[in-house]
Amino acid sequence: MAELAWLVPVLPLASFLFISLAGQTVKGDGDRIGIAAVGASLLLSLAILFDVIGGARVAADMVWAFFGSIQLRMGYQVDPITATMLVVVTLISFLVHIYSLGYMHGDVRYKRYYAILSLFTASMLGLVLADNFLMLFIFWELIGLCSFLLIGHWYEKQDVGYAAMKAFLTTRVGDVGMFIGIMLIFFHARTFQFDGVAQAVAAGDFAGAALAVAAVLIFAGAVGKSAQFPLHVWLPDAMAGPTSVSALIHAATLVAAGVYLVARAYGIFAPSPTALMTVAWVGGITAIFAASIALVMEDIKKVLAYSTVSQLGFMMVALGVGGYTAGIFHLVTHAIFKALLFLASGSVIHGVDTQNMHEMGGLYKKMPVTFWTWAIGSGALAGIYPLAGFWSKDEILLAAHEGGYTALFWILVIAAVFTAFYITRATILTFFGQPRDKKRFDRAHESPATMTVPLIILAALAVVLGFANSPHTGWWFSHFVYFDHPHEAAASPFVLFWATASWVVGVGAAILIYGLGVISRRAVIDNLRPVWALLKNKYYFDELYHLVFVRGTVAISRIVGWFDRVVIDGIVNLVGYGAAKLSRATGEFDLDVIDGAVNGIAVLVRSGGAVLRRLQTGYVQSYVLALFVTVVVGLLVFAFGG
Amino acid sequence: MTVTDWVFLAVAAVTLFSAYRVVVSRKIMHAALWLGLTFFGVAGIFLLLGADFLAAAQVLVYVGAVTTIIIFGIMLSTPEELRGPSPEAGSDAASSAAPTRRSFLPLVTAIGFAAVMVALVNRGEWPSPPGSVSTDTPRLLGEALFTRFVIPFEVASVVLLVALVGAIALALKEESGQ
Amino acid sequence: MTLSLSVVLAVSALMFGLGVYGALTQRNAIRVLMCIELVLNSVNINLVAFSRYVGPDQALGQVFTVFVMTVAAAEAAVGLAIILMVARRKAHIDIDQINLLKW
Repeated sequence: MAELAWLVPVLPLASFLFISLAGQTVKGDGDRIGIAAVGASLLLSLAILFDVIGGARVAADMVWAFFGSIQLRMGYQVDPITATMLVVVTLISFLVHIYSLGYMHGDVRYKRYYAILSLFTASMLGLVLADNFLMLFIFWELIGLCSFLLIGHWYEKQDVGYAAMKAFLTTRVGDVGMFIGIMLIFFHARTFQFDGVAQAVAAGDFAGAALAVAAVLIFAGAVGKSAQFPLHVWLPDAMAGPTSVSALIHAATLVAAGVYLVARAYGIFAPSPTALMTVAWVGGITAIFAASIALVMEDIKKVLAYSTVSQLGFMMVALGVGGYTAGIFHLVTHAIFKALLFLASGSVIHGVDTQNMHEMGGLYKKMPVTFWTWAIGSGALAGIYPLAGFWSKDEILLAAHEGGYTALFWILVIAAVFTAFYITRATILTFFGQPRDKKRFDRAHESPATMTVPLIILAALAVVLGFANSPHTGWWFSHFVYFDHPHEAAASPFVLFWATASWVVGVGAAILIYGLGVISRRAVIDNLRPVWALLKNKYYFDELYHLVFVRGTVAISRIVGWFDRVVIDGIVNLVGYGAAKLSRATGEFDLDVIDGAVNGIAVLVRSGGAVLRRLQTGYVQSYVLALFVTVVVGLLVFAFGG
Repeated sequence: MTVTDWVFLAVAAVTLFSAYRVVVSRKIMHAALWLGLTFFGVAGIFLLLGADFLAAAQVLVYVGAVTTIIIFGIMLSTPEELRGPSPEAGSDAASSAAPTRRSFLPLVTAIGFAAVMVALVNRGEWPSPPGSVSTDTPRLLGEALFTRFVIPFEVASVVLLVALVGAIALALKEESGQ
Repeated sequence: MTLSLSVVLAVSALMFGLGVYGALTQRNAIRVLMCIELVLNSVNINLVAFSRYVGPDQALGQVFTVFVMTVAAAEAAVGLAIILMVARRKAHIDIDQINLLKW
């Protein structure tokens, strides 16, 4: 089956073409076509995954173009990480397609929505299958475009348009770095193929500072796409898009592309300690920084958005400290439970028509399915045994601990405490307590089956998936996806204790503050007023960027304008002033004597000007004539003059 | 003087004559058709000079495209001139405002230029024509274009693109403004 | 061909002179454009001739001819677009009456 891998992205692509060109001719604007295509891709991906587990590997390519001695090739490769990603992407895309039947029902641009959803799925699958940097970059930009289109789905609202633009431009900053990095790799390795580059690195043709610079530049692209610090600002704003899109793109797949990129290019990161350190620290800073912002957000989707940023930071740390398998495993489990959380939040929003958690409360009675699935998802995110998040987070902490990165280890533990706290807070504010908005509460209702069934499937996966890499299955995943050689970390009671303690502390504190009210929220906020304000304003990053980049540009133009006004005009005025002084002196001195002569000269200049301005006739041919007369005269001088 | 030389002289004569007719024809449509013949003549000269690829390009680009769009331009812009010369229409203020144009100066300039150039050419020491010429010019041209001149080549393609966009923008703006 | 290079260059110079004369005297903007095409073609003859006589195994002159053709095509397209715009606006293309560049 694995040799049919090329068909996996082609099916959604065909569905995109069909829906966009002829969607209106079938019932439901082609939504069923999209679901069928992605469903077929899912089945195919599962078959491929089982093939690959059975030991199958496929790589096929063909020559795309020649440039002198340089060949560009295009092709696909299927290995464990690709097969895993194929299943994750098609599975979540399939569930989101179904979920959207209910969530987007009756939307103004229903057809467009499904068409782009298909295109996005096709591009993401293409990215995962690509066997060289150039194709990866092409698909990388395509998913960026789809993200832009889907964030801006309701573009009538100005904020939404701006959010889409912000996402596009911010990720572009990283992409420029990535493109330069790819060119650098090509310059040194003379190929775009992943295996060719790996060979060049192994042979020592591509090493040292050039390798480190290329790796860091590649990482810049990942920073943009995976919303890592300091390019994280776009992801929370991207929540302006439909929630189903947030689940698919901004939680499970597109943002994971950055992590996938680092994993795919791990061959150039691994030999460079500098590059690995960069990845690890950017990830660590992002993890704690975003988690701390999520503590105070009031918008349920914003909490999840910052949570995503933070979790992606966890994955980056894992890759940076050498826990290749741990990073990929967290990528997979996070994709499942974050998609689950987003879809559940979408179900809540669908029911109460607000995103502000302070207008919710007590919803567990009204929306039991949503509540239970959300609870499983948030438990997985917090890292409660035995849900999926527990196993993958434990692996990351273990990798950091084993690698000897003590500072990063403690940062991650604190971030994990924050994670457990904010997700518990969100759960309590949304589903428990008294309804704070009676009108909305009365209207609230459980969502239709098209939305709840995907939730249940994801919840089931969130429960069982973690076992894929647990002692109960003999660390199966570690032997399936690995870099270089399988690595089985020795279980560490120390790490296990802190991993457990982190969620116990986080969940416990949230329950004490929000659930039981033992500790007053007011008192907490009042005591930590400056910190609270800092978090509430997201560390003022939007303001900083506005100040530095937007206002900075304006300021530079102001300075240039000021220079023009003050310095240049000053010089001109000074000269004029001097001339005026001089003429006054002359005038006083020679008032009677020269007057006539001056007038005479003035008349002469004036009449001369009147004659000379005749030259400026405005007739093009006169100018050309003058030009050619000059040319002929010049030629004569050149030829016969000397 | 070989046969080829005579052929060259004949083609050159036709080319120069039709170039002359381009300048002096009273009807603009005739001038455009003479221009087409001039382009053909130039293509013939290219062929005789061994530039077979350029001769083909000359026919395609100039005779095929440039002449056609010039004829289109004539039909779209000066319908009254198609019917015949309109010698003095609208010449009242104009010709007096551009006195240099109809004077002897252009003629003197042009003749002067041609004369000086011919004199210079005759004075020069020129290499005698090489006996054999590479018949593989498309290959030579292609190799030069894609190796040594690849950047100018790319720039030229950008120029074409800009011209394309510019021409459309210029022609379109007025359309929507109406 | 045994003719001297000077013959070819003379043909090119004469054609150039004709083109310049036309460009300087024609009143119809399209005719001016046509005469400019003549000038460009005469230059091309020059380049090809030198390519043939001086460096026949390199085709460098022909490369430049390709570029001249490119620019000429661009020039014709943009020039005609401008002329069409003027024609729509002024209902004529008599360059004696187009003098926006006047002092």
